[in-house]
This record gives sequence, structure tokens and C-alpha cells, in this order.
Amino acid sequence: MSEIQDEIIMQHVKDGNLSEMSELFERYNVKLYNYFLKLTRNRLISQDLTQNLFYRMIRYKNSYKNEYSVKAWIYQMARNLHIDYCKEEKRSEALFLNTDTYPVDISDEIDGFPEDDYEKLERSFAALNNEQRELIILSRYQGLKYEEISHIVNQSVPAIKVAIHRAIKQLRGIYFKQI
Amino acid sequence: MKCEEVEKLMIDYLDKNLKEDIRLEIEKHIETCEKCLDDLRDSQQVLNFISTDQMVKPDDSLRINFYHMLHSEIKKNEESNDSSFAKAIIPWYNLRHYRIAAAVALLICGTFIGILLHAGLSNSYASNELKQLHSEVSDLKKASMFTMLKEESSSDRIQAVRYADDLDSPDPNVIDVLVKTLNNDKNVNVRMAAAYALSRFADRRAVCDSLVKSLALQNDPILQVTLINILVERKEKSALRPIQAIIANKKTLKEVRAVAENSLRVLI
Repeated sequence: MSEIQDEIIMQHVKDGNLSEMSELFERYNVKLYNYFLKLTRNRLISQDLTQNLFYRMIRYKNSYKNEYSVKAWIYQMARNLHIDYCKEEKRSEALFLNTDTYPVDISDEIDGFPEDDYEKLERSFAALNNEQRELIILSRYQGLKYEEISHIVNQSVPAIKVAIHRAIKQLRGIYFKQI
Repeated sequence: MKCEEVEKLMIDYLDKNLKEDIRLEIEKHIETCEKCLDDLRDSQQVLNFISTDQMVKPDDSLRINFYHMLHSEIKKNEESNDSSFAKAIIPWYNLRHYRIAAAVALLICGTFIGILLHAGLSNSYASNELKQLHSEVSDLKKASMFTMLKEESSSDRIQAVRYADDLDSPDPNVIDVLVKTLNNDKNVNVRMAAAYALSRFADRRAVCDSLVKSLALQNDPILQVTLINILVERKEKSALRPIQAIIANKKTLKEVRAVAENSLRVLI
């Protein structure tokens, strides 16, 4: 038997059964943490944002209106959190040392393929604009469907496909130019 | 099929999302078009790299904090169900701004009475009343602080920490909440505010010990520097061990290490 759908769990949470949120946490925490990590490249901040996201999910549970998948709702919230974080970061930059550029070695735990290739991809990735990066993260790293992304970033599926296509083309161009 | 069309369909082709006939058309095209074949290979390789990217495991504290938060939300939820009757008759019951307004109103009352007292009404009855008012204001501030620390916005939480600054001699509960904020708040500015609030009460042994303990936990450079400074100012010898650990830690930022090394000269 397949596992219980996110939507059913979320309905229970909305009905006041908050403890079921732990199931959604177990399903999504690693993915969301990595979503933030790809965007911010900072472990501490990504952890804070993930923490904050689950808090929002509980607090604003009634904003989930069943009209779309729970997954799309969660990522939409994650996206907004990151946008808010960027705004706040811009404001506080003048007040505090910029800890954001504090180098965090995130490649040490990656053993999928040689570190050089990984670093090269990361560097190419950094050359994309924010919107392109976001789409690649949602579509390729997080494995979301075009329909889900369409709901999250509020753009049509064809427009998203074109944008992702362009981003891959650019990524490919930068990546192979570096060799 | 033209090159532009192939380019457009490339990702769907690699994802095997195309119908048989279109797929065959692309394959026919790349048999003769070297450029498209190269592009296709390059795209394939980039997508492969991305798909072999491994997720990084978050720190255990994420799970611990989540369950802690969930637990307190469940508790809050149960409490609010209990007091829903009270809420129904006093709709502003739960508005924290109202509470703060009430605190301010009380403060003004207190000041007014204070002036009256100064004008010669200093009998013991009135001074008791003043004391009582004073403690009520403190209680209200304390209550506001506890409520506002649960707010999501970090500026609200900073404000909450500042209420502690107004308390002359906070009780262990307040100190405890401040220490928790210092160690666990997700926002570095809130943690900083908590560190400064606690530094005022660092004469107390328990507070000082908490600050020393916290120094070993913090990995944000600003907080490390702040805590080191607070403890060095007090010439707190027990801070030696965490400071040495910071110096020994390879991940420590060099600016922080410099501050830590300087502090040793004062402490040793």
C-alpha cells in the first residue's frame, strides 16, 4: 500500500491534529533544507529558514486551501520565506558584519562525483540569474513537476519550460567553456 | 526538423517525455547535425551532474528544534481551546498590543501617583500601593515578554528581549527564557539582544555560567565576539576553556580567533 497522501495529512493538521505535522516534517525537512542551501549556500541560514518554514506551516495551516498539492503550497511558502530573508538581509547588511559571505565548505560531504566537477557546476550555477537558478532548483534538484512550479512561481507551464530550457542552455555553455 | 525545434525539445527528449514520432524525428536530425548532437550531449552531462548531486543532511538540532516547537504549539492550541469562552466575551483578550497599551497606561498611572505622593502624601499605605503598582507593571512587562518571544517576526522578539532590560531584578524564569533565546533563537540579532540583556545580570553566578556555556555553543562570529567581550570584561576565568576551544577550531573566522587570542592575555 502506498503511503498516506500529504493532502490527507494536511487536512488532519487543519482539523487541529497538529502532531501529524511531524509526518510532513519527516517527509520534507531534508529536501527543504537543501532547497534553502542551494539558494543561500549557508548551512546555518538554511537551517533557520527550514525551521521557520515548519513554524509557518503550523501557524498558517488554514492558508492551505486544498486547491492544489500540499507540496506546491509548502514550496510556495519556502520561496516567500527566502524572498523575505533576502530583503531583511539587505536591510541589516549596513548594521552588521556580512556573515553571509562567511565561507562554508559545503562540498566536503558530497561524494557523488569528483569535487572538481562539482565545484565547476557550482560556479556555473552561480552565473545564472536568480530566477533561472530558482527554476533549476525546483525542477531539477527538487524534482517538482512543471505544473507544480507553475503554481509556485505564478507563471504558465510553457513560459516555465522556455525559461528552464534557456537556463540549461546557459548552464551548459558556461560549464563547458570552463574546461 | 530544424535546429531551433530540436533545441526547444531537448530537455523533454532527455527526460523521455516525447511521443515516439517526435523522438524519431530528433534522432534523425542529430544523425546529420553535429552541432545539435554536441549540444544534446552537453545538456545530458549537465543534467546528469545535477541528478547525481547529493542532498546534504541537516544538523540534528533541526529535528530537535522542530519537535520542541511542535510540542509547544500543541500545548498552546490546547490552552486556547480552554480559554475560547473568555476570548468570546473579551475579543481583545489575546491582542498583545492591548496588553502593552495596558502596561503603558499603568505606568502612567504609576507616575501620576508618584507625583501625588511626592506632593506630600507619603503615608505607608500609599507607598505600599506604589510598590504594588510597580510590581504589577513589572509583571505585565514580563507577560508581554513571554508572549512576544513567541512571535515570528524577529523585531517583535527583539522588543520582547528589551522588556527584560526594564526589569530591575528579573526572576529565574525571565533569566531562563533569555538564556534559551540566546542559545536557540533562529535570528542572530535576537540572540545578540539576549546576550546584551543577560550581560546586565552577569553578577549572578548562574547567569555568568550560562554565558560561558553559551559561548561553547555559538558558531556565529558576531555572537562569539560579543560573548567573549562580555566575559573578558568581567575577567571570567571559567571562559578560558570555551575560548581555547574557539581558537583550536579550524572553522573559526580569523577575526574571531584574533579577538579570542587577545582575550587570553587578559584572562591568564
